[in-house]
Amino acid sequence: MSKKPMILILAAAAVLLFLLPAFSQEDIKQLADPAFGQAQRPAAVFDHDAHNEKAAIDGCLPCHHQGVEEGRFVEGDPVKCADCHEVKTAEGTPLMLAYHKQCEDCHLEKKKGPVTCGECHKRP
Amino acid sequence: MVEIYNFVVGPLAWVGWGIFVVGIIYKLIYMYSLARAKDYSSLDYMSLPFSLRSIFVWSIPFYATNWKRNPAMTVATFLFHICLIAVPVFLLAHVVLWQKFFGITWATLPDQAADYMTLAVIAACVFFGVRRATDLRARYVTSYKDWLILILVASPFVTGFLAYHQIFNYKFMIILHIVSGLAWLALIPFTRLSHMFLGLFTRAYAGSEFGKVRHVKDW
Repeated sequence: MSKKPMILILAAAAVLLFLLPAFSQEDIKQLADPAFGQAQRPAAVFDHDAHNEKAAIDGCLPCHHQGVEEGRFVEGDPVKCADCHEVKTAEGTPLMLAYHKQCEDCHLEKKKGPVTCGECHKRP
Repeated sequence: MVEIYNFVVGPLAWVGWGIFVVGIIYKLIYMYSLARAKDYSSLDYMSLPFSLRSIFVWSIPFYATNWKRNPAMTVATFLFHICLIAVPVFLLAHVVLWQKFFGITWATLPDQAADYMTLAVIAACVFFGVRRATDLRARYVTSYKDWLILILVASPFVTGFLAYHQIFNYKFMIILHIVSGLAWLALIPFTRLSHMFLGLFTRAYAGSEFGKVRHVKDW
């Protein structure tokens, strides 16, 4: 038996293995981090793909980072914010501040996008 | 929107807070100098234990005779003053701003509780307004300034309530809320709202004179 069909089958399997999770991830429409527990305000509206298209963001770095080196974000795998930022912490940036800074600082800098509470935490 | 927001939480906030802090310090020094110049002997009456005793006793609802005499007013004024201070200081959305701008945080109220307390402040303002209009003695000492102050005090709470519930135009309401809150702070030293600080000294003086000089209770 030639090796060719076997390699093709394996290749197809590999494609499926990586392709399916990539497409099966649900579109992000809001930021409702379960780490906060009982939320005080409605979840922040955030259409991930529409936002990045509008803001012309190609990479992951402007938002997703793995720590900070010399005052700059270091690119990394898109991990959950709560993996590093704790809700209550004396060291580093607490989770809520991390979210607020992430969105607001960029919006203030670009002079575009929402900056006040209710512009993101919209009531249904 | 970003430009207007930047202006009201930036330069305008510094001006509002600056006038409030400097104004209050100025007012306290001014009132002290005035007492020294015009009524020097009154300063000798002052006593710290009797001052603190009077402030403490009058802080207990329905303890002083005057608190017992006007139950509705007593409930309204205690509820009003507690909520008036507690809501702006311990509101989550405000502490979020302190944390963002200055890196400091403290305990916060649940939003639901703050919401009811805001309504209590607004209801108390309505009560004070009705009282000013209907109570003969209150009406006699009421001028247009008292109405302006009542509106000034109520406005950050009304706009804050409307902004929180996103009733009417949210962006307009939140800017109006910030501006009215800063106007409120800046006008404290120059209006009757200065009783926020001076009231303690009025109480302290009464407590001292009644306790140290007349040897009687002042409640």
